[in-house]
Amino acid sequence: MRAIAAALATSAERREAVALVSVVQAMGEFSATLGRHLVVWLDERTPLGDLQLGDLQPRLIEEARAALRERRHARLDYRTEAGAITLFVEVQPQPYHLIIAGAGHVAAPLAVMASLCDFTVTVLDDRPQYANRERFPTADRVIAGPFRAELRKLRGDRPTFDPNTCIVLVTRGHQYDVDLLLEVLDDPVAYIGMIGSRRRVRAVYELLERERGIPRHRFDRVHAPIGLDIGAQTPAEIAVAILAEIIAVLRKRAPERR
Amino acid sequence: MTKPFYCQLQQFLDEGLTVAVATIVQVKGSTPREVGAKMVIHPYGKHVGTVGGGCGEAEVIRAGLDVIADGQPRIVRIDLTEPISMQSMGVCGGILDVLIERWGPEETETQNNPGRVES
Repeated sequence: MRAIAAALATSAERREAVALVSVVQAMGEFSATLGRHLVVWLDERTPLGDLQLGDLQPRLIEEARAALRERRHARLDYRTEAGAITLFVEVQPQPYHLIIAGAGHVAAPLAVMASLCDFTVTVLDDRPQYANRERFPTADRVIAGPFRAELRKLRGDRPTFDPNTCIVLVTRGHQYDVDLLLEVLDDPVAYIGMIGSRRRVRAVYELLERERGIPRHRFDRVHAPIGLDIGAQTPAEIAVAILAEIIAVLRKRAPERR
Repeated sequence: MTKPFYCQLQQFLDEGLTVAVATIVQVKGSTPREVGAKMVIHPYGKHVGTVGGGCGEAEVIRAGLDVIADGQPRIVRIDLTEPISMQSMGVCGGILDVLIERWGPEETETQNNPGRVES
């Protein structure tokens, strides 16, 4: 048991996706499998453990990987002439990565609450007096450097940010927000939100359409003004509205937009 | 920020403890927690995590202590659908199926299942 717990703990610490397959019910030829486990990773790593299911095992490893890709727990039922087995695939998905551009008054409470909700949090600002550990003790990374260059660096070798990424644009000036928005506009991220009043946001989109020829529909996926309309006023309340909107999007609920 | 569940579980096993792990594997109706929610039932009461709290969880903890003792994995069905009364004013409804298994410090899991013949 300890080897299995250790593998799951290591994956949790590395923040990588992993599934634990447990036998829930087993009858007939499968009854000896009750209490057994199998650890399955999303990549091609050899699964750990043995459910003693013979030919069924490769099939259920595929099912477990499918559950991991969908980030959903699954229940699997197999029936043969000689028995029946029910398995539970418990999915530990990779935590979402929240990138907060701007380290101001909204970013500070947002970083704390996002950590509580198990996001991996990166904060980015070009002002070291704001982007520092003292202001963001719970963040996983705090980066002080030029916005667009640092955001590109976060993307790494990959051509785009992945669907595991959420981006919140709350810098001190709209020109930085817009510059970063254009950098990630076509990346298949889970969420992009940008701060600003409704009027300001509309003016920015019109300007970009006029000056840069970017059609309006390309901004459809941007959540701006950012956050659910809960009447938030203080920076901490606005952070609540933003995080609530992100959770609603990730949990695939239609959020009420401002 | 919260310590991952399996890091906590691993720590108990490293300390040589045998615990029970409860996992919600199926729900029906409006339940206090979702499928996949887990808790460790600790032999001396230092439980970790929650499967919803209240009377339902108390039942899971009792069953967990039995599982620690006999090693037999089992499903406990928690029914929270009974009408609200003065005795029990649970806030949620619904039915939960909770899988409870023994996790011990032994390296592999062949010894996890006493009384069963390993092939």
